[in-house]
Amino acid sequence: MGASVIRRTIATPVFLSLLLVAFAVTAWAVGSRPFNQTIIDIFLQVIFVVGLWIFVGNSGVISFGHIAFACLGGYVAAWTTIKPMMKGNAMPGLPDWLMGMEIPFWAAAGLGAFWAALWALIFGLVLMRLSGIAASIATFAMLAMVNSIYSNWESVTAATSSVVGIPIVRTVWPYLIAAVLAVFVAWAFAISRHGLALRAARDEPTAAAASGVNISRMRLIAFVISAAVMGMGGTLYAHSIGVVTPDTFYLGLTFTTLSMLVVGGMGSLSGAVIGVLILSSLIQVLRWLEAGVQVGASTFALPGGVQEIALGVVMILILMFRPAGIMGNSELNLPNRRSDKAGQPAPTRVL
Amino acid sequence: MSVLHADKVSVAFAGLKALAEVDLTVSSGQILGLIGPNGAGKTTLVNVLTGFQAPTSGAVLLDGAPLTGLKPHQLRRRGIARTFQGGRLFKDLPVLDNLEVTGVGLGQSRRSAIAEAEAMLDWIGIADLAPRIAGTLPYTDERRVAIGRALMGKPAFLLLDEPAAGMSAQESRDLAALIRRIAADMGCGVLLIEHNVGLVLDLCHDIVVLDSGAVIETGDPAAIRASEKVRHAYMGTAAETDLPILEAGLEVAE
Repeated sequence: MGASVIRRTIATPVFLSLLLVAFAVTAWAVGSRPFNQTIIDIFLQVIFVVGLWIFVGNSGVISFGHIAFACLGGYVAAWTTIKPMMKGNAMPGLPDWLMGMEIPFWAAAGLGAFWAALWALIFGLVLMRLSGIAASIATFAMLAMVNSIYSNWESVTAATSSVVGIPIVRTVWPYLIAAVLAVFVAWAFAISRHGLALRAARDEPTAAAASGVNISRMRLIAFVISAAVMGMGGTLYAHSIGVVTPDTFYLGLTFTTLSMLVVGGMGSLSGAVIGVLILSSLIQVLRWLEAGVQVGASTFALPGGVQEIALGVVMILILMFRPAGIMGNSELNLPNRRSDKAGQPAPTRVL
Repeated sequence: MSVLHADKVSVAFAGLKALAEVDLTVSSGQILGLIGPNGAGKTTLVNVLTGFQAPTSGAVLLDGAPLTGLKPHQLRRRGIARTFQGGRLFKDLPVLDNLEVTGVGLGQSRRSAIAEAEAMLDWIGIADLAPRIAGTLPYTDERRVAIGRALMGKPAFLLLDEPAAGMSAQESRDLAALIRRIAADMGCGVLLIEHNVGLVLDLCHDIVVLDSGAVIETGDPAAIRASEKVRHAYMGTAAETDLPILEAGLEVAE
C-alpha cells in the first residue's frame, strides 16, 4: 500500500515539473537575455515558495522567518565561490580554510542547504515548542536576528555593503533542476509518514497527540527540510545576480514569497507552484505594458507603479473571494476515477 | 495483565476543585464504568489519565510505575488510548488515513499502518467506509471510526468518553457489542464514560460514580443500582421508588 500512495500521487510533482520545463523551454526558445533572467527569477521564486510550503502548508503554522534561511544560503555563495583574492578585501575575517575555498555553484548550493538546515535545527528546537501566532511571531524575530547579525558582522559579511564577485550563472537549466528538485522534495515529505502526521496535527492537534503524534518533533523535521530548500534557493539567488546584501533577503522577499503562497493556496503543493507562476507572469506582463507596447503607429504604455497596485488588488481579491487560494486543498492530478477501490482516498485530498 | 491506576488524583483549576483524591483502577480485559452528573469531573479524569491534564496532586500509575510528566503522545505510545466527545476526527482526511495517522504516530511505516488500518476497519465492520472523507460521516459512524483510530497498535487501555451520546437504542446495542469484543477479544482494559446509565450497568464489571469531583460510590452494577447515594446525586433527592434511569436500555436526559 505504501507503493500505491506513491503511484496515486506521483502525477502531481510530474505535472508541476512539466509546467516548469515548459517555462524553461520558452525562455530558451525566445533567447532574449532579459526574458531569460525573468524565467530564472520565477524558478528561484518557485524554490522559495515551495520551500516555505513544506513547513507552512503541512504544519499550518505561518512562518515570517524563512527568508532568513535564504540569507544564510546566499552568504554561503559569497563565502565559498568568490575568488580568494576578492574575498580577502570584502570579508577579511573569514577563517583561512574558508578564505581559500572556491567551489562550483552547485556544490555551494548543497552547502547552503546544509548550513540553513543546521540553523533551522538549532532555532527549531526552541521555536517548535510554540504554536499558533506565538510561533509565527517567533519566526519573525528569527528573521530580524539573522538580518541584524549579517548586517553588522563586518569582517565576515561585509555588513550592509554589497558583496560582489559571486560567479554569475546565466543559463536557466540549473535553476530549473533546482526548482524541480524542490518540488519533488516537498512532495516526498508530504507523502511521508511525517507529512501525514503533521497534516493531521494541523487539523486536529489534540486528536493527533492522542494518536501518538509528537507534534513538535514533526514540526521540527518539516522546519529543517524546508530550511534546506530555502538555503539552496538563497545560494542560487546569489549566483543569479552575482551579489548579496543582507537586505536582499529581508522584508521585500518575505512579503513576495508569502503573498505568492497565499494567492496559490497554502493547502496544496500545486497551489504553491501555481501561485508563483501566475503572479510572476502577471508582474512580467505589467512590466512590459509599463515599458510601452507598439499598437499600430502609436505606443501604448501604462503609468509606472501600476504593477504594484495590480498585485495588491489581485491579492485582496483572492483573500476576499477565495481565501484558501487559487488551488484550495486540491492538487493537480490525474482525472478522478469514481470507481476508486476501498483504501483510495478521494482525489482532491492533499497527497 | 496490565493495570492502570489513578492514585488519589486531585485537580484544581484556579482554586476550584475539579477532582478530589480520586482512586480508580482499570485492568486488562475489564470494562470499568465511570458515571456521574454533568460537571462531575469525568472528562477531567480521562484527561489526567491520558496526559492532557497534569494532576495537582496524586499520580497515575501504569503497572505500578508513575507516569508523571509524560505527554499525551508518550502515554499513547505506552498503550493508553482514548476517544473524545464529538469524535475529533481528522475531518479532511479519508477514514482509512484517520486510522493510519495513529499507526505512523506509533512509529509504523505508512505501508504497515495502512495494512493494520484496513484490518481494523474490517474487524469493527466498517471496511466500506475506508475511502470516505471523515468530515462527511454521520454521527454514529464517526464514533466507530474514532474507536478504530484509538485501537490502532492494540493499546492496553481504551478510555471512551461518551461514545453512545446521541445514539438510538439499536445503535447503542451495536456499540455495546463492539465494546465487549474490545475487552474480551483484544484483552483491552476499557474505561467507559457514559450518560446512558443503562448501557453502563449492562456492560461494565465495575462502576465508579463521581459527583462534584469525588468518588461517591464504587461497586458492581447491582450495588450501584441499589445505592441511595447514586440516586441522590442524579436526582438531587432520595426517591422512594426505583428510578427509571436505572432500567437497562434507557437514556438519561442531561
